[in-house]
Amino acid sequence: MRGAHWAVVAGLVAATWASFAYLALDLGQLLTLEAQAQMWKYVVSFFPPDFSAGHLSRIGQGTLETIAISAIGTALAAVLGLLLALPAAGRFGVVPRAMARLLLNFLRSIPELVWAALMVIAAGLGPFAGTLALAWHTTGVIGRLFAETLENAPAAPAGALRLSGSPASLAFLYGTMPNVVPQLIAYTLYRWEINIRMAAILGVVGAGGLGQMLYFSLSLFQQPQAMTVILAMLALVVIVDGASAWLRQRLVH
Amino acid sequence: MDARLSVKFNKVSLEYPNGVRAVRRLDCEIRKGERVAIIGPSGAGKTSLLRILATALRPSSGTIGVLDTDPWRLDRGNLRRLRSRIGMVHQAPPIPPRQRVVTAVLAGRLGQWPAWRSLASLVYPMDIAGAERMLARMEIADKLFERCDQLSGGQLQRVGVARVLYQRPDLILTDEPVSAVDPALSDRVVGELNREAIERGVTLVASLHAVDLALHRFPRVIGVRAGEIVFDLPPVRVSDGMLAELYASESRTVPTQDNQTLETVPAGVRRRPMFS
Repeated sequence: MRGAHWAVVAGLVAATWASFAYLALDLGQLLTLEAQAQMWKYVVSFFPPDFSAGHLSRIGQGTLETIAISAIGTALAAVLGLLLALPAAGRFGVVPRAMARLLLNFLRSIPELVWAALMVIAAGLGPFAGTLALAWHTTGVIGRLFAETLENAPAAPAGALRLSGSPASLAFLYGTMPNVVPQLIAYTLYRWEINIRMAAILGVVGAGGLGQMLYFSLSLFQQPQAMTVILAMLALVVIVDGASAWLRQRLVH
Repeated sequence: MDARLSVKFNKVSLEYPNGVRAVRRLDCEIRKGERVAIIGPSGAGKTSLLRILATALRPSSGTIGVLDTDPWRLDRGNLRRLRSRIGMVHQAPPIPPRQRVVTAVLAGRLGQWPAWRSLASLVYPMDIAGAERMLARMEIADKLFERCDQLSGGQLQRVGVARVLYQRPDLILTDEPVSAVDPALSDRVVGELNREAIERGVTLVASLHAVDLALHRFPRVIGVRAGEIVFDLPPVRVSDGMLAELYASESRTVPTQDNQTLETVPAGVRRRPMFS
């Protein structure tokens, strides 16, 4: 057993050394005085951040755009995810279950950034592409989580309603939904929180919002403007994390 | 099937996939408007019998008739219509904990309401007064807008009864409807079920754990053991010996409310005390 451990450690060390050699990385370069001076210069160039009124108002717009992209993307995903979760939870038989799971896996396995690049080609530059990109990937994630929630929900309440003549759809709404709604809301809010951060990044491939502003400023070597965007992103994420946690607490209990 | 019959069992057997035979070649007829109590030790097949009547379980062999039809020959739409005429009070009320009491009661008529009304009722309860009337009969009208997870087990069971009363079915089935309700209220709840059956002339079939409730409240008592009918008699003719034998496998005493011995004489009926 002990021998196996040492073999693993030795293997890791060898793999790391091989990676450096293969990529021709020279860590020493990072430590030269010249490199350090350059890095320091670059960091300093971000200060002071640009707090001019014109730039701030554009940042405000970018922030709103990022929030809107994430909110609409997540809302779309929640609706599509619930529609796909029903067959994926096996409510319509084995074949639809397998098909829905396959579709959800496909949507989920393509990262948001790749979806965004594809959607920029399909829908053009701007917030619409970002919204679609978030919606597709999040549908895959949320659909899977919803399907598992539905599968774990107790069957007795809806079963009893069907036994008293209720149509299956209404039995689901009266018997199953009250049991799962808090969980669905919690999942959706959690994904929204993640998507706001994601929406801020998606702009880098041209999908609108704060990310696009960050990418433009950095490309044009306007570091002070870029710094303000980074600060806005930080503030947004902190506020959204807090708000989401508070909302989940209130809605779920 | 005879039009005066509400239920007809013809050599009905039920075998579960694990091999347990819960019901064995059972013959039974119940006329419209009859009120029948089913008693017997636990595991005797009382719940299985009721679930066959509720069309929740299909017999392994034999035929059944419920409200003039064989439910297993109906297409889906007609089976649904038949089921909306059968109301079942479950032993553990299958109600979502977060649902409000009023919604849980109104859900009794989902099989009868048009879809738009059921959907609208999710947003705003469509018949608050109706739900309140049924809850008042169960003495929990004050719980109308509470969430079901705020109720005690006994209160929740009474919400389940109120739902079936609101459904207004032609065949009322109850599976130990008062197992979590205290004795005084049990009597009231079983009394209300009987009143409903008498007033509307509908059939009531109740399995009961407490033998005294069955003997006091029902004109016909069926004793069940090991999936077979042991006796099927009016309560006056049910002797202590029969009861003792029925429950012989379970305990030395016959189960009653509060485990008091069965001595109280129902009005107009004279009987010997138990195990004297």
